Amino acid sequence: MNNTLHLSFFEATREVFELMLDLQKVSESAVAPGEDACGNLTISIGVIGDLTGDILYTFPKETMLEMVRIMTGGMEVSEVDDFVTSAIGEISNIISGKAMIALSERNVVCDILPPKVVESEESVCAYPVDSNTKINTEIGSVGLEVRLQSK
Amino acid sequence: MLWKEKYMLGVPLIDEQHQELFRRVTDFVETVRKPIPWEQKTEQVNRTLDFMKDYVVTHFHDEENLQRELGYPELPSHRKLHQEMVAYVVSVSRQYEESGNQEQLMQQFAGRLLAWLINHVASEDQKIADFARRKEQETHE
Repeated sequence: MNNTLHLSFFEATREVFELMLDLQKVSESAVAPGEDACGNLTISIGVIGDLTGDILYTFPKETMLEMVRIMTGGMEVSEVDDFVTSAIGEISNIISGKAMIALSERNVVCDILPPKVVESEESVCAYPVDSNTKINTEIGSVGLEVRLQSK
Repeated sequence: MLWKEKYMLGVPLIDEQHQELFRRVTDFVETVRKPIPWEQKTEQVNRTLDFMKDYVVTHFHDEENLQRELGYPELPSHRKLHQEMVAYVVSVSRQYEESGNQEQLMQQFAGRLLAWLINHVASEDQKIADFARRKEQETHE
């Protein structure tokens, strides 16, 4: 189930990045211990239903800015402000929603909660310790951590 | 302009409405992001909010009618996405008014609206076009 779960979120991320950002090369790799990730923003999406817990997406600053540049058709964005955080939160929401639809086709029925910015020192300079997964794209990486448990 | 040819569904009324929505959202984002004092942007921001409240409802109504005509099986879940967005636009407009035109609310609104619109048109609405094409193929077989 863990692999299926993880795959649902990876596939949803790949689909969203391709459709919304025209990113064609999306792959996964392990996060190296102690890998530098300063300036990151972690978005948490709560899950309720047959599974409960959180999905954490960790976005390095440059990845976020590039995502927003693509979405705005090239607008110059240099800081992670309310506009950027909100757009990235919505993308995390969209990815999670798509993963939930994929899981519902396997009779796992869950709902997601609105995105929250994780305010913790851990998110400032490191990928989530136990995620070990990073989604790589042409414009940078995104950390993915699936923290879900069956009821 | 954030519109892309690949967003076309092949239904003129809906494609025109999508292009208009993208034009308005592009203008809105450009206004909100302009490096000038917020007070100089509020008139255009208020105009866009008023437009969105009316136009989004009209567009969603037309899009749902199209889905009904096609017998699109995912109409209930698609309508739910529409209802959630309308509720969000109404709620954020009210909060903005009550806060005395607080900039932070509009920065957040612009970011979410932009991502939502791109996904909705590039992904969710394309499923309607795919369904219509499959249905037409089956009719000709």
